[in-house]
Amino acid sequence: MKKTVPLILGMVFGAYALAEFYLPHHAVAGLSDELRSWAAILSAAAFILGGLNILQVTWPKIRRREDDWGYKVVLLGGAAVMLAVGLPWHKLGDPPRAPTVARTAGGAGPGATVIVTVPDDVTYTVGTVVGPGTGAPIAIAVEPGPVAIKLSKRLAGYRPLTTTVDVAAGDTVTVGGEPPILWGRDGRVFTWIYDHVFGPANATMFSLLAFFVASAAFRAFRARSIEAALLLTAAIIMLIGRAPFGGAISSVFPDLAQWLLDVPQNGGRRAIMMGAAIGAIATGLRVIVGIERSHLGSE
Amino acid sequence: MTALPWIDVVGYWLGIFLTFSVLSFLYKDNPFYKLVEHLFIGVSVGYLIVLQYGDNIEPKVIDAIFGGDLDGVWLGLRIVALVLVLMMFAKVVSRRWAWLGRYPLAFVVAFYAGLQVNAMAQAELGAQIKFAASSIDAPKVDLNAAPAEALTSLPGSSPAVAAKLVAERARQPFTSVDDAATRPSLTDLERADLAAARGHLIGLDARAAVGPGERDAFGLVSNLLLLLATLASLVYFYFSVAHRGPIGAVSRFGVWILMIGFGAAFGLTVLGRISLAIGRAYDVLGRTVAPEDAARIHAPWASLASIALIAGGLTIWELRQRRVQPVPPPGADGQS
Amino acid sequence: MAAEHWSERLQRFDRRWIFLIMGLAVVVPLFVPLNLPTRPDPMTKAAYNTVEALPEGARVFVSIDLDPSATPELEPFYRAVILHLKRKRARLVFATTWYAAPPLVNRYLRETVDRAIAPPGAEGYDGAPDRAYQRNVDYVYLGFRDGRSAIIQAFGSDLRGAFDGRADDGTPLDRIPMMQGLNKLADFDLVVLVSAGSPGAKEYVQYVGTRNRLPMVAACTAVSTADLAPYVQTGQLLGLVGGMAGAAGYERLVGKPGAGTAGADVLNIGTMVVILAIVFGNVVYFAGRAHRRRGGRS
Repeated sequence: MKKTVPLILGMVFGAYALAEFYLPHHAVAGLSDELRSWAAILSAAAFILGGLNILQVTWPKIRRREDDWGYKVVLLGGAAVMLAVGLPWHKLGDPPRAPTVARTAGGAGPGATVIVTVPDDVTYTVGTVVGPGTGAPIAIAVEPGPVAIKLSKRLAGYRPLTTTVDVAAGDTVTVGGEPPILWGRDGRVFTWIYDHVFGPANATMFSLLAFFVASAAFRAFRARSIEAALLLTAAIIMLIGRAPFGGAISSVFPDLAQWLLDVPQNGGRRAIMMGAAIGAIATGLRVIVGIERSHLGSE
Repeated sequence: MTALPWIDVVGYWLGIFLTFSVLSFLYKDNPFYKLVEHLFIGVSVGYLIVLQYGDNIEPKVIDAIFGGDLDGVWLGLRIVALVLVLMMFAKVVSRRWAWLGRYPLAFVVAFYAGLQVNAMAQAELGAQIKFAASSIDAPKVDLNAAPAEALTSLPGSSPAVAAKLVAERARQPFTSVDDAATRPSLTDLERADLAAARGHLIGLDARAAVGPGERDAFGLVSNLLLLLATLASLVYFYFSVAHRGPIGAVSRFGVWILMIGFGAAFGLTVLGRISLAIGRAYDVLGRTVAPEDAARIHAPWASLASIALIAGGLTIWELRQRRVQPVPPPGADGQS
Repeated sequence: MAAEHWSERLQRFDRRWIFLIMGLAVVVPLFVPLNLPTRPDPMTKAAYNTVEALPEGARVFVSIDLDPSATPELEPFYRAVILHLKRKRARLVFATTWYAAPPLVNRYLRETVDRAIAPPGAEGYDGAPDRAYQRNVDYVYLGFRDGRSAIIQAFGSDLRGAFDGRADDGTPLDRIPMMQGLNKLADFDLVVLVSAGSPGAKEYVQYVGTRNRLPMVAACTAVSTADLAPYVQTGQLLGLVGGMAGAAGYERLVGKPGAGTAGADVLNIGTMVVILAIVFGNVVYFAGRAHRRRGGRS
């Protein structure tokens, strides 16, 4: 029962996903889009579940003071900080969305003046004029008419202050303000941690592979058979052909590397793709028909 | 450009320190690496939860159901999705309810399987068989008659060059490939590109002609080899027949083709991995930021300071380790 | 007891020396560049030609599916293709299906779309200049949606529904004039895929490209180039820019060398180190094998 009903549901939805490809009716398209939204929602929920699971598994290790429990504190701390700064705290207050504007009318002359006073970490845009603030008033001459004004900071996590002011000839408009800090996924702190912790750690973890590949090239890649020799020869040709020095030595190398990719590589890869496609179709049909049930676990 | 705030300068220093901490794994697994590894996992978990909620759950569930974005049947269907999400989270509350998670799992696995069947059949099987079964003929492109798209695909050509060739041949038909490649309306750069692409095996001379009916001999051989490579590789993967005699020979050829393909893929993989290391080197030397920012960050000095700090820390750690346990004989630690 | 053969000593070579050599191979060329020219490969040229053939004001969907680890290989292509598209005054719609991408995408949009990449008089650039684009006027950023192949298929049938009718900044898509008539991927003149893995170019080809005969070009990491090359041959992709070397080729075609060109130059020494490691490793292996066959006598 606990397995049969989900199995039948799976068969229904799987059969629908298979059949909708051939049914052009607009109602089918609407339902298909809705089910794809379900898939997106459940994918996102699965990620969240996985994240919570990591935290659930880590906390007992800290409580029991297991090996390396100190590192687990760092793990939980990092997650807690990201969750905290990921909340949209700025929505609690009412941060400004537009700069302060004061107008003095009645001046002489055909044009108008906008005076911007902003700190030196704020960039102003008045019409087409863009520049950094200095803390002191900056006067910009503008033509009468609507003038778009934007005050922003160059880094992520601040909301730009924008407004459009209708200036008449002789007007002097004074503009000031500081873009408020944002929290949440577009926030200052969240982005700072992404840029300076997540990004470097993520990139460097993968870059370790460069060193391991060099080590493996010396210690493990042996031409023990004809097949291995073919593999290594093709690898060397591809390396020489794709790096700039290969083309500098002779145009034969890049041409040979491209031919290697276009003919033997594509030929073999095409066969693998066809075989894998047949396997994927067979597995998909097994799941839809209910023969494959391992994903539902045991009773 | 406004100056980079000090907190961001410190951020770049932190990133450099974390980079070298991870790279210290190349020496051996050590506390610096472990610290960054756990910090990265923790930050990733928090990041993931915030993003998945904000970009997927909030608009598709919270706003859709409680924000009035949907109504009628569609609202009902979206509520079903919410129920499935809650069923997925049931096991977080209690293991006794873990079986509820089978419902959303069954939907996801079966729905994706259904989508996959059609996609594989069309894109991986159908399109590939269609290409493999296409003619192996390799006619040369007739410079005097081919459409612009065909001229664009020639070595050394481009849409601009193709358009000029079309205009030139209308003025005066080409008498040879040399003639086409040196027409006056082409710029010096375009003529140089065409000259660099000349070649009788796979270059411009192999692929282009000034009349109909000519064949690219090497292209023909390549197309035939491509077909044979596909067929031989397919024979290799057919395990219902013993690979002996003629089948065995074809299968062996297929293995060779696959090995060449894997070698090419391995070569590309090596290039990709080295690129990752180059990216890190650029970052720790401050070459990925604007010059004004680089002048504030002093990345090379920060890198040296990080290396010194980590080297000092590792030295202290190693000495402590050796006091606790004696050094193992060479070859036992897997490093040499 | 016979003295240890040199091949046996070298077989036990501490691999940390190889790590150090590799590290130097990556760092030293940054200070002493070889400045060798890059040559665009045919698949990169095909991608460039496809973008070049777009009419002025074409509508282009750009899917940026990467994480920080893929930026050395893909960011140079991204910057070059955005300059190329902005030169053509293309109207751009951005989206991503990778959870690690949104902050990167926001930074890219700030640095390359909200600002001019190559304003008039830009140093080292002779091509047509581009200009700063305005969000929700010249370009739209739809945001991030998860769901892998299902959401990619949803882009192909109902792009607006996939993003719940709003851009990433919350603006209803119905209120953005440039989104008029853009309801699914087939409504675009070109789809540009900046793809670090899965979900990415392969899923776009399998689930939506082939079915709807979409014109698509892709940039991928070098690792994925071999996997995606067959699609270029069949026409399912109109061009493929593979890895840093491919990106360097695209930069050369666009006329603005950048990180790809500089990085490809550094690739030379690292590549030579790996080739020498393979060759030398086999020399050591075969020497040792010959020595053992001779009975261990030198």
